[in-house]
Amino acid sequence: MIRVTIDGVTTQVPERTTILRAAKFLEIKIPTLCYHPLLKPFGACRICVVGVKKGLGLEMVTACNTPCEDGMEVVTQAPELLRARRLVVELMLARWPNVAVIQRLAAELGLDRPRFTSPVRDERPDACILCLRCVRICEEVVGASAIGYEDRGIHRRVATPFNQESEACIGCGACAHVCPSGHIRFEGEDYRGRPAEFLLGPNTAIYVPTAQAVPKVPRIDPESCIHFKTGACESCAAVCEPGAINHKMRDEEIELEVGQVLIATGYDLFDAAPAAQYGYGRLDNTYTALDIERMLNATGPTGGRVLLKNGQPPRAVGIIHCVGSRDENYHRYCSRVCCMYALKFAHLIKERCPQAEVYNFYIDMRAFGKGYEEFYSRVLHEGANVIRGRVAEVVQAGWSKQEEGTLLIRCEDTLIGKFREIPVDMVILCNAIEPKRDAAHLARIFGLSRSPDGFFLERHPKLDPVATTTDGLFIAGCAQGPKDIPDSVAQASAAAARMLATISKGVVEIDPIRAEVDEALCSGCRTCVPLCPYNAIEYLEAKKISQVNSTLCKGCGTCVAACPSGAISGYGFTDAQVNAELEGILAL
Amino acid sequence: MPKLKLEDLAAIRDSARRMTSLREGAGRVRITVHMGTCGIAAGARAIMEAVLREIEERHLDDVLVTTSGCAGLCSREPMATVEIRGHPPVKYADLTEARVKTIFEEHILGGKIPVELALAIGSERTH
Amino acid sequence: MPYRVHLMVCAGTGCVSNGSLGVRDALEKEIHRRGLGGEVQVVTTGCNGFCGAGPLLVVQPDGIFYQQLTPKEIPLLVEEHLIKGRPVPKLMYVPPEEKVPIPKMSEIPFFKGQRLVALRNRGLIDPEKIEDYIARDGYTAFAKALTQMTPEQIIAEIKAAGLRGRGGAGFATGVKWEKVRQAVGEPKYIICNGDEGDPGAFMDRSIFESDPHSVIEGMLIGARAMGARWGVVYVRNEYPLALQRIQIAIEKAREYGLLGENIFETDFSFDISVTRGAGAFVCGEETALIASVEGRLGDPRARPPYPAEYGLWGKPTCINNVETWANVPPIILRGAKWYSQIGTESSKGTKVFSLVGKIRNTGLVEVPMGITLRELIYDIGGGIPGGKKFKAVQTGGPSGGCIPAGPLLDQPIVYDGRGERRPLSDALDLPIDYESLTDVGSMMGSGGLVVMDEDTCMVDVARYFLAFTQDESCGACTPCREGTKLMLDILTKIVEGHGTMEDLESLEEIGRVVKETSLCGLGKTAPNPVLTTLRYFRDEYIAHIQAHKCPAHVCRELNVYRIDPEICVQRGHGCGVCRRECPEKAIFGEKNQPHRIDQALCKKCGVCVDVCHFHAVIVE
Repeated sequence: MIRVTIDGVTTQVPERTTILRAAKFLEIKIPTLCYHPLLKPFGACRICVVGVKKGLGLEMVTACNTPCEDGMEVVTQAPELLRARRLVVELMLARWPNVAVIQRLAAELGLDRPRFTSPVRDERPDACILCLRCVRICEEVVGASAIGYEDRGIHRRVATPFNQESEACIGCGACAHVCPSGHIRFEGEDYRGRPAEFLLGPNTAIYVPTAQAVPKVPRIDPESCIHFKTGACESCAAVCEPGAINHKMRDEEIELEVGQVLIATGYDLFDAAPAAQYGYGRLDNTYTALDIERMLNATGPTGGRVLLKNGQPPRAVGIIHCVGSRDENYHRYCSRVCCMYALKFAHLIKERCPQAEVYNFYIDMRAFGKGYEEFYSRVLHEGANVIRGRVAEVVQAGWSKQEEGTLLIRCEDTLIGKFREIPVDMVILCNAIEPKRDAAHLARIFGLSRSPDGFFLERHPKLDPVATTTDGLFIAGCAQGPKDIPDSVAQASAAAARMLATISKGVVEIDPIRAEVDEALCSGCRTCVPLCPYNAIEYLEAKKISQVNSTLCKGCGTCVAACPSGAISGYGFTDAQVNAELEGILAL
Repeated sequence: MPKLKLEDLAAIRDSARRMTSLREGAGRVRITVHMGTCGIAAGARAIMEAVLREIEERHLDDVLVTTSGCAGLCSREPMATVEIRGHPPVKYADLTEARVKTIFEEHILGGKIPVELALAIGSERTH
Repeated sequence: MPYRVHLMVCAGTGCVSNGSLGVRDALEKEIHRRGLGGEVQVVTTGCNGFCGAGPLLVVQPDGIFYQQLTPKEIPLLVEEHLIKGRPVPKLMYVPPEEKVPIPKMSEIPFFKGQRLVALRNRGLIDPEKIEDYIARDGYTAFAKALTQMTPEQIIAEIKAAGLRGRGGAGFATGVKWEKVRQAVGEPKYIICNGDEGDPGAFMDRSIFESDPHSVIEGMLIGARAMGARWGVVYVRNEYPLALQRIQIAIEKAREYGLLGENIFETDFSFDISVTRGAGAFVCGEETALIASVEGRLGDPRARPPYPAEYGLWGKPTCINNVETWANVPPIILRGAKWYSQIGTESSKGTKVFSLVGKIRNTGLVEVPMGITLRELIYDIGGGIPGGKKFKAVQTGGPSGGCIPAGPLLDQPIVYDGRGERRPLSDALDLPIDYESLTDVGSMMGSGGLVVMDEDTCMVDVARYFLAFTQDESCGACTPCREGTKLMLDILTKIVEGHGTMEDLESLEEIGRVVKETSLCGLGKTAPNPVLTTLRYFRDEYIAHIQAHKCPAHVCRELNVYRIDPEICVQRGHGCGVCRRECPEKAIFGEKNQPHRIDQALCKKCGVCVDVCHFHAVIVE
């Protein structure tokens, strides 16, 4: 530890601490510009000059990169230092008069009349001020070195090699993050048509999913994390005090032996972009229901206010039901939940934007549950306009209609038998609920059947909605079909109860009609294994034979017929036994 | 070229110095061989070569040899003047190779002037 | 058989470009034709320093100096001097305003006042022959350092000698070597900085071209003292002959086992590689040079850490200037005591200066520290030609300052070379020394010395130097990048006649802050020419601004061209040449009538001055 005195205050700091760090520790403010805590100090802007006492005078050094020495005495506010800092900022103002961060520094230093004009003056507020933070972060922290600088002197500028798109750039946005003037901007990509701010997935490499996430801790997205692309950075781990971040953690595969499995893998939303007539992903202010849920949430991008992209509240909103549902072209089934949440949106929009007109375009209003019909009436009373008719298309309004709305919804109002064109500012699509994209894959693993609409098949549509034809395998929730929350909870409880019943019984009843493998005859050819519709046959590696799981086997007999060596036989239905029965009957 | 050892360095220095020490212009002895037309006709060339041979054979490195034009006494050519630093110059006349040898042994190395071969010692004064 | 005459033909870049190789060829041809091949040796040497008088020839052992030779004169020279022994007066050097030539080189004032240490071998050896170098005690100092001295003793000797860096900063070389020796890290590197970016400076080039082995030997001694394994010689790309000679020298040294493994059969190994510069003045700065050697962009970086701790490839590195390295072997050979008796209290030894500008004897000189400006300019330099008045001398290249002639009104307190400080009244009495030059606001720099006379405009000089440093600024730090450009613009405004008195204050203020806050030496010294001319020649600035006149008539925009009607008619008879040549058709007049310039049309190109045979055009 060494002793250093700054502005008369003495303290002890570790060796090689820079003057700036020591000052920060003493809460003495020194202005900086090109300094950044994540980067090695560079000393390019020269604003952080301080004076080190040397003999009778002061030696001017930059605080960000000069290490303290034992017994050093530093002053930060001497008149010659202020004069120097002021002139350096004046030189910057001469070249970049409208950049906010320089104007702020000027104001702090009491500079109100800049005297000079640079011959290479750049009046943009987002001009590059040559702090070179972007170059340094790309090299030191990201490890990609995709951006550098070219030419020298007054012509120096930040550029990629040969001014071409750099292949080394990994698109992490670190350069934009540290740019003090906004010269480098990171434009979030439209994620499958959705505006970036509504992304529910990761929007930075390390992120807390939502304010209501459980558990509410940050997660790392390996797709955009710099460490997984270049091996560098790990800034998050460096600043985490408890040391809770470990980039080396990997997914573990754990094998569990279980007796029953409940599949409740949920649903995916219909992607509205291919339905081009609705304009999703093409027209501004066109959202899906999930986007609007996010917008209406108090922790969302607008803080719960209903706003257009230009920051203004909408004058009229159109809510289109049955997008992708009840549709010959996409899904013929009804998604069940959309009518109710559409009405909820209408209600909330009316509440938050009392001036706005709300239109619901429906085929049938399905208000089937407890209190649902009453809610529908209430919404009608609140002034929502419901129009029975399918929407033909959503288009950008021509210039003459812009005073009422920027989008036009064209539909047929079947109740009055007319074609209508409704001007709105915002369009909300009620997307269909679809089976999850990996449902087919899951079905194959477990040997599950699926109904024609792609959801998993229950054993009986009326009498056994949670079980499947395979014993021990249960389904619940939207994996089985579109349903709302009360119904999902009910189904899940039912499935859980069934499973608990089996567990508490302690034994499993096996069907007497089942197949059996004769170990002596089985050669392990495994012809039977993929044929079993119930995945009931297992190949034992150690013994090199196949074995039938009696609890799963339903006795369908497929394997018995297929076995080339006759090693599998139906229990009680061996050739000898069947022949004996035949002989018995023929003897009569 | 094998690598140098310390003693090699000294050896190269000594042999190279002999070839180049004249460039520094210093020297203890200055021999001027008169090579005017009369001198050359009388055989001053051969005397010059004899002088240079003596220098090489005796490994002398402080002897300068220069030429000059006719000294005026054409009948006594070939002539040479030997000046040792700090001593008056000595003019030798009617030189032969054998006499050159003697001059080297006795005057230049021995410090004694072979008076019988000398024409004049010292130079004229103008006042 | 040893030769009896050595003809030392100067083959430094200056003389070569004036045709000295042709002279050499003519000499060889004539000598062979006359049968003197066994007696006369023709040797090409490096630069002799008296570049204004080239092509040069020195005949040894007589020490006769011939100048401005052409192949035409060679047969005569051979006949008269080599065969008949009669040196040729008409080919010798005649001092200005005299009639009698000075035959001997050692008596010519230009050479007489010099004291050669770094340039000890100039003109005496063929730089491409290692034996010539060895003959003059070459590598003997290194042998002594390697086998008879410990590294600590070598460093102590250099410290006692008081050798200071000759690149410009003047840092104590022995102290730097000690720091590198004590630093932790392997392998250690030593670098020879041959970037020599100052325009018009050619001291280092001369050493490379005349005596490259002196640098190699210096580096070997340094490597031994500091424990370095590898050396790098950085030569600017614009010096092809220097590059060639140092590369040949390194090759030869390797051949002789003086570079490589186990030198002189000890466990000391050292080798040198050559890196070429790529055209940036800033690469003379040590950290930028290191970046350049590593293949990175030549940007200086902040220090600390200094290269002695963290240098080339992150290892301890000692960088010294070419001239510094060349001074090392004589110090080791002849001892620190001998060296420290040359020079002043604080600046020991000698310094090589390039004496250029408005001076009779332009060239390269090496003089002991402490010599006065008067001796240098008048005795060695031969004074100002053309009967003009001495106005100022600029030292230290574009980073230096201007020292005015005549009494210094503000009587700066100046180090007097003997350990004391006194007020200086006449600049010519200034003893040249690191401290005294900084005391007057200039600096030693690498040794450039530009002499100026009454026809030099000091504002234009400041602008010229600032334009150079501004163009060479790397652009990393704000003050140098923006400040020098702003200062240059203001100076341009002034020389074009649009300056204001506030501009002078701005120049001083910006200059001061650029000096105080720049990141590296380039920025820290770029304002020097401006600040010193403002200090000593402020009236010239004021004349430009308030009177719209350039007292030296250099700044064209401010000149007024006028035809003297009497001279035009009486001497020139109104010849009309100026009228015909004027590109703007601004001159009016008839034959035999006085001509007149229309000031509104005059673009001040000065053609009329050049074409008038009668000197009727007056510049005001």
